Amino acid sequence: MTDKGPHHLQIGIDIGGTFTDFVVHDLLKEKISTFKVLSTPANPAEAVFKGFHSLIDKKVIPVPGETPGITITHGSTVATNALLERKGAHTALVTTSGFRDVLEIGRQDRDKLYDLIVEPREAIIHRSWRYEIDERVDYQGNVLKAIDPQEISDLIPRIKKEQIDSVAVCLLFSFLHPQHEEQIAEMLRKAGFYVSISSQVLPEYREYERTSTTVINAYVTPIIDNYLASFENLLGSVSMDSRLRIMQSNGGIISIGEARQNAVRCIVSGPAGGVVGASRIGEAVLAASLPLQDQEVPAEQLKLITFDMGGTSTDVALVDGRPTVTTESAVGGFPIGIPVLDIHTIGAGGGSIARIDPGGALRVGPDSAGADPGPASYAIGDVRDDLPTVTDANVVLGRLPVDYFLGGEMPLDAGRAISVMSKLGSELDLNAVQTARGVVDVINAHMERALRLVTIERGHDPADFTLLSFGGAGGLHAAELARKLSIPRLVIPPMASTLSAYGMLVADVIKDYSQTVMYTGRKSKEEINQAFKPLFDQGRSDLLAEGISEDRMHFNPQLDLRYLGQSFELTIPFDENYLEDFHNSHEQNYGISHPDREVEIVNIRMRASGLSYPPELPRIHTAAGNSSAALLGSRAVVIDESAEQVPLYRGDQLQPASQMGGPALIVRNDTTVYLPQDSFAVVDEYLNLLISIEI
Amino acid sequence: MKKNKFTQFDADPIRLEVFKHLFASVADEMGIVLRKTSYSPNIKERRDFSCAVFDPVGNMIAQAAHIPVHLGSMPLSVQAAIEKFSEIEAGKQNALSPGDMILLNDPYKGGTHLPDITLVTPVFQPFEGSSNLDQELIGFVASRAHHADVGGMTPGSMPIAREIIQEGLIIPPVKLFSKGIRNDALWDLILANVRTPTERSGDLWAQIAANTRGVRRLKGLVEEYGADLVAFYMQALLLYTQKMTRKLIGELPDGAYSFTDYLDNDGVAGNPVPISVTVRIRGDQAEVDFTGSADQQKGSVNAVFAITLSAVYYVFRCLLNLDVPNNSGCLEPVRVIAPEGSVVNAEFPAPVAGGNVETSQRIVDVLLGALAKACPERIPAASQGTMNNVIIGGWDPRFGRPYTYYETIGGGTGASQISDGASAVHSHMTNTLNTPVEALEYAYPLRVLRYAIRGASGGKGKFKGGDGIIREIELLSESQVTLLTERRTNSPYGLEGGQPALSGENSVFRSGVEEKLPGKATIVVAAGDRLVIKTPGGGGYGRKD
Repeated sequence: MTDKGPHHLQIGIDIGGTFTDFVVHDLLKEKISTFKVLSTPANPAEAVFKGFHSLIDKKVIPVPGETPGITITHGSTVATNALLERKGAHTALVTTSGFRDVLEIGRQDRDKLYDLIVEPREAIIHRSWRYEIDERVDYQGNVLKAIDPQEISDLIPRIKKEQIDSVAVCLLFSFLHPQHEEQIAEMLRKAGFYVSISSQVLPEYREYERTSTTVINAYVTPIIDNYLASFENLLGSVSMDSRLRIMQSNGGIISIGEARQNAVRCIVSGPAGGVVGASRIGEAVLAASLPLQDQEVPAEQLKLITFDMGGTSTDVALVDGRPTVTTESAVGGFPIGIPVLDIHTIGAGGGSIARIDPGGALRVGPDSAGADPGPASYAIGDVRDDLPTVTDANVVLGRLPVDYFLGGEMPLDAGRAISVMSKLGSELDLNAVQTARGVVDVINAHMERALRLVTIERGHDPADFTLLSFGGAGGLHAAELARKLSIPRLVIPPMASTLSAYGMLVADVIKDYSQTVMYTGRKSKEEINQAFKPLFDQGRSDLLAEGISEDRMHFNPQLDLRYLGQSFELTIPFDENYLEDFHNSHEQNYGISHPDREVEIVNIRMRASGLSYPPELPRIHTAAGNSSAALLGSRAVVIDESAEQVPLYRGDQLQPASQMGGPALIVRNDTTVYLPQDSFAVVDEYLNLLISIEI
Repeated sequence: MKKNKFTQFDADPIRLEVFKHLFASVADEMGIVLRKTSYSPNIKERRDFSCAVFDPVGNMIAQAAHIPVHLGSMPLSVQAAIEKFSEIEAGKQNALSPGDMILLNDPYKGGTHLPDITLVTPVFQPFEGSSNLDQELIGFVASRAHHADVGGMTPGSMPIAREIIQEGLIIPPVKLFSKGIRNDALWDLILANVRTPTERSGDLWAQIAANTRGVRRLKGLVEEYGADLVAFYMQALLLYTQKMTRKLIGELPDGAYSFTDYLDNDGVAGNPVPISVTVRIRGDQAEVDFTGSADQQKGSVNAVFAITLSAVYYVFRCLLNLDVPNNSGCLEPVRVIAPEGSVVNAEFPAPVAGGNVETSQRIVDVLLGALAKACPERIPAASQGTMNNVIIGGWDPRFGRPYTYYETIGGGTGASQISDGASAVHSHMTNTLNTPVEALEYAYPLRVLRYAIRGASGGKGKFKGGDGIIREIELLSESQVTLLTERRTNSPYGLEGGQPALSGENSVFRSGVEEKLPGKATIVVAAGDRLVIKTPGGGGYGRKD
């Protein structure tokens, strides 16, 4: 397959818990439009179908039949939910004899240190569906006990009898000798099972993490396969020539064929889209600030902290040149060892509930009022059941104007917010305003800890970064958080709540490969290159299969390094100076390095990317903005202890070069921005708010 | 500062919550640095370490949620360092100064058992508006890590000993760094007395890096909020935890509750070793009295007072069952009586290696047994009650160097009024991870043949106890094996009519022939021999209808 270039319509679709977001890029009209419909969790494709028909009605996309090519990139929580709700396929596990319980034992630790009562953990696969094969390979890849094909043949009817759909195979040291797993897989596939083998899903040492990743893949792949098949059918009814791609957790996209075999790669795709979208916004802002326009953006200057605050949770991530990747993530307590964007999620959002604990401390979250009953000011439930939330605190402080919420479509009830805060405060002898201020301070402390975790604790100084805030609730808290962490710059893009779908539109095709090698001593560059060759070849052929032309391919070889004897590796780009870079990185992360100690190469990694055709962000060149045109009036906002009148601006009326000094409020259709004292905002030609914070 | 009816102290409930997170994040961050830069599998893979923040008099303010057995004992390490280097004891010249780091492992001077090496660093800040010469102590940070070997009779430094001198190198509180300068003589002396010096040096550097990070973070807080406010909220958080603990104790019915359980033996003499406790609840105060427990033993099951305190702390901390800070305030309303010279408050020169890892578990068992009489609905049956310590050492012919491997193995937890117990996990005083089989086979001349759940080993009952583990290891070269395990004869108890669990079993297969091993033993094994450890389950709860 050759690269036919981009289709003229590209659509990013992010299915979230509350909304399904669409971002449509029309290459001919050079136009980006965004659109939301309510999600339909029971059958996620239903919302997509509804969305498509609305888009056709609105003539954003043509009617079926006349349709030119459409490329759709999709991110969904189908795989995540199947795992969290334990609604995956009937899955079996095959292991080396003596090790079928590794999946259940895990690392033999318990989740909570100070609970006397330790309840049993349920493994993803019950013991009766975990089977053993008599074989053994040692740590150098030598076969100690060869596999007997008869044993596999005998196993197949036993598995069949249990009505299993999918089988995971994970044998000890299979990353050094994959032949045993491949032999089992071949026979199982012939018998009609979905098969996932660990030497292909994650060819790295540490049997529990590899088993867990492979089992998750086996467990969710049939679900994703069915889901995508129905999705393709649905597309067929909308467009003749459509190409469907799937957002992966590593921030890249893959073809549907690949996703239908390796579903574990798509497990946290929505938040990954947000980080990719935020990076693109950050790049555009950075490029505009460079003296020579249209020059290549130097990657090392792209330093962002992405901050996505929604109703129930907040996702934070670091972009240092590119989004940071981790191989130590987990979903629902199950480790996933493949590279995914390092997104730290905490239970803090607009709906987080405040309470007083028995020791007299004010606590906020992680429980959330969700969409129903929602914050008290939503006035959805019975007034007697009102719960005090972060959103209510913002209403009481005047930061969230009640008449402009969601573009004025959903007025908030300030009276209920005040009474619920007064009630909470009465236990502390505080009035409603003091209590609201406290609620905001506590939730900010939670988010500050999350932001510190991805920056300071990993050796980065926040002052070197720009905070990029999105999500419905981000704009109300971002400026205060930036000040707490001494971050002088804050960017709030116009697509605050559809940035994840936009990210899917602009993401590259990305394939990650790895192999445990355990090289000790000084390997020559040639020897290392030799080890990389199979990964490089695989990447190239997979990118070709994705329709990527050679000139748009990019290969990024990396090494996982540690001092011989340590257990944690740092991932360092493979070039001339990799040893020196490792010592420096160790020093930066941990404050010490040992240049005299021997360095071990644990894994080699290859990231193969196929560059996308990202849309130009809509840009307005007339820089004659004057903020007074967008001034709606003034509002009383609590600053320190007393209320003060501050100007209120309408975001969609703000033109480039408009300037506003804090304190001020800016209302947009999907978010409200609070500009505190000693901060200053200017609108750029992409309609981003660029906010400088006096520290 | 606002006053309100919930706070006898002048703390703002919002700031209290904010500072709780801030101090905890200092300890957390130290832990990350330590784990990621260390060399001992005990530290890097198994996370057998703790990091904590202290006030200027040695009260623990925050501890990263690592290992409960270090909880009550870390403050005693800091207090030992303060005492030794106070101006009165050490003289003005050698008193604590900025840039000092104090190292110790002496169980009789602030330590627990010898492999646990603690590094204590005072944190100073110049007085406002003064020259750098005049500095104020704002607190301490400390890290403790279980090093794979500190010398002594057998690899791993947890031998079946008769006196502490046999257990390894004893380090009383000494300055490893004085005003920023390392004591090279001390450094060399330590490395000359251990089996794996390169690893030891890497681990000590990891602790230095962790403490350096902690110092930087704590000073950062003082710079941001001012020394007075930081000091104030250290005390406010202690009071907060204390108040929560008093409230908890106040809810327990007044009375005296007693319980006795037994260690199998001390590894030298064969007889069971009783541990007895009486918990007296009066209003919002508790007295925990171990009078009646056995005298200190010849073998290494002796616990120093720090261990006993940790076990008491752990139990009360669990009963609180809330997200309160892990700090010294928890023990304020609890008085612990442990007779000097007993197995729960041993005196020099009793060996103590097993006190930390085995006796601590039994102290928890007796405390829970007693409290089950006060609040049966909250107390589960006995968990496995051992850490199943396996230490293997010898010569690694593959690399031509000595090796030391140490592992503890999980088992069953006790069932409770609401659920079955969990299988194959660590319980109570430890929560260390296993060494992955593939990591282990790269690192040591060993091969794991089986790592499985030991079916039907949990006690039966209305709710059944969790099952233990079977771990089978083939030795690929001649090695020395030390086992320090408990609950091999005396099973974990059931409650409310639930059955006890199966006790553990140890054996070695020499040339295919099984030989049963006692709970505590040191043996030499040949290449090709196999070691099989079966760990206990947890007790059952309630009568099965």
